[in-house]
Amino acid sequence: MTNTGNAIEVSDLSFAYGDIQAVDGVSFSVAPGEILGFLGPNGAGKSTTIKMLTGQLRPDSGSISVLGMTMPAQTLDIQARIGVCFEEKNLYENMSGKENLDFFARLYGIKGRDFDPFLRKVGLIDRADDRVATYSKGMRQRLMMTRAMINDPDILFLDEPTDGLDPVSSQAVRNVIKAEAERGAAVILTTHDMHEADQLSDRVAFINEGRIAALDTSDNLKLEYGQRTVRIRSRNGGDVDVRVISLDESNAGDQIREAVAVEGLMTIHTEEATLEDIFIKLTGRGLDA
Amino acid sequence: MTDAIAAPPQRVSRRTIIAAIVRKDFRAFRRDRFYFYMSIVGLILYVAIFWFLPDTVDESITIGATGAGIEQLLEQATGAESEGLTIVPFDSRETLMTAVEEGDQDVALGLAFPQDFFAAIAAGEPTTVSVIATAEVPDELRTAMDSFIKEAAFAISGNPLPVDYQEEILGVDRLGDQVSLREKFRPMLAFLVLLIEMMSLAGLIAAEMQSRTVTAVITTPARLSDFLTAKIIFGALLAFTQVVILLVAIRSLGTEPVLLLATLLLGSLMVTAFALIAGAFGKDFISVLFWSMLFMIPMLIPAFGLLFPGSASTWIRAIPSYGLVETITGTTVYGEGWTEALPNLGLVAAWTVVAFIIGMGILRKKVQSL
Repeated sequence: MTNTGNAIEVSDLSFAYGDIQAVDGVSFSVAPGEILGFLGPNGAGKSTTIKMLTGQLRPDSGSISVLGMTMPAQTLDIQARIGVCFEEKNLYENMSGKENLDFFARLYGIKGRDFDPFLRKVGLIDRADDRVATYSKGMRQRLMMTRAMINDPDILFLDEPTDGLDPVSSQAVRNVIKAEAERGAAVILTTHDMHEADQLSDRVAFINEGRIAALDTSDNLKLEYGQRTVRIRSRNGGDVDVRVISLDESNAGDQIREAVAVEGLMTIHTEEATLEDIFIKLTGRGLDA
Repeated sequence: MTDAIAAPPQRVSRRTIIAAIVRKDFRAFRRDRFYFYMSIVGLILYVAIFWFLPDTVDESITIGATGAGIEQLLEQATGAESEGLTIVPFDSRETLMTAVEEGDQDVALGLAFPQDFFAAIAAGEPTTVSVIATAEVPDELRTAMDSFIKEAAFAISGNPLPVDYQEEILGVDRLGDQVSLREKFRPMLAFLVLLIEMMSLAGLIAAEMQSRTVTAVITTPARLSDFLTAKIIFGALLAFTQVVILLVAIRSLGTEPVLLLATLLLGSLMVTAFALIAGAFGKDFISVLFWSMLFMIPMLIPAFGLLFPGSASTWIRAIPSYGLVETITGTTVYGEGWTEALPNLGLVAAWTVVAFIIGMGILRKKVQSL
């Protein structure tokens, strides 16, 4: 595989657990500083793909190039330059936040680093010396994010980083993700949250039954697969009339003029397809399936 | 994340990674109150038990006797006390039976001689002496009385016994070299300490698997082999330190200290290997306890065998801990050296290698399936 300048290049990647084909010929790339949303229901093959990219699993076939290095031959060199934030809160509960960071930093060969700037950024500086067992779910998640960034990684793998968090914690985590991308890190964001994916991702990949069903920017996906509509509600005597006009129809303008000319006009809303609508349209199943 | 730091080295040395994991494990162990206090309390308790146990051996036996001519019998038995045999006379068969039943005057069993005992012996006619004993008296002691009565009859009648006999002792003759209960307990206590540390390590490994912290570790430059090596070093160090402290506290390192330390190190490695298996299967405290017990109970059998001599079967030699217990006993009690210990240590080493191969294989599979 030639070095294209992409942070990640994946080609025709496959993996099976026995008879179950978890990943089936997946190909994609991620550029430095890009956030790729990886969307799909449980069992779609997202986690297996991430496991192969982070060196936890060896692919049955296909090739992986990370930062110009190949997996699995250069796994250790690759792992030195990536950061992973898992869905499970896999922290050492009996150790403090700072001790957790210090331990993982040592695994990267980093000693004596000042973690305060990291902890301040995610709002954990006041609890840094407390044991993780006393942390709330949001605090643990923020510590996980911090841990993933301890080696200034060139690539970040984030699995459901805001799952179950309160709005304040979620926003703090999103801000960190954006900052990391601005720094130049490539980010693969696995999430069920369509709104979050839409908000954060430069591009999104829909993965279903081990294959990528679609991969593009969310705007392009909405243009290609979604339906833009205007919903107009008006009072008609004691009833409420609702008209939904597709903006893709050639006489959409005439229909809208006609609809707003009636007496008793109540509301006019433009509507566009959500990523979830598009996912259902493409795969025939919802993301929570 | 813009504060400047020196770029991390391209490759972190395995030693640095393993040392970091071992250090973290010690910290985690110290903060796990249950395992930490169990280790400390267990150690103190075992040392206390050892010193409370009797260190003397009672090698004497008291026999009650009644019947005609008992005085003559006592005269013939003069000197028997020096061989650990004391004979106490009783007036009647009834008082003797009561004494045996209730253990009066430490009487272990009784001999009731019939009124015509001397006449029958002199005439060369058969006669019967009753041996009175409770069910708890070992069969060996009851049959030994047969020889004693014949010897007494010979001494009284002056006729030679029709059958001569000689003793043949198989293996090491421990006659007059009896082991006190305290010394019998030494390998048991040492092994209990090792087994407690096995449970502690299994608990730590299971916790890493369940919380999936192991996954976080192996997505850094640390390999799974680094993780496992660190666990082995930590487990063996923990067990070895504890058992050495125990043996120092019970003053058992005096004879052949190098051999004993080598034995304990091998034992520590062996229980660490079994801890890998128990830890891989353990899901929570109860299942860790269950899996640990599954290994602990059979491995305690050789140590129990020492407490009840004569009950041990040949198959006990196949238990991984057998060689360990034998070496500890042989070295600390009988002053045996490397020559006697090497076959046993070879057996322990073989079991350790097998357990490591199985444990690491299972753990590797488990981690990959997380």
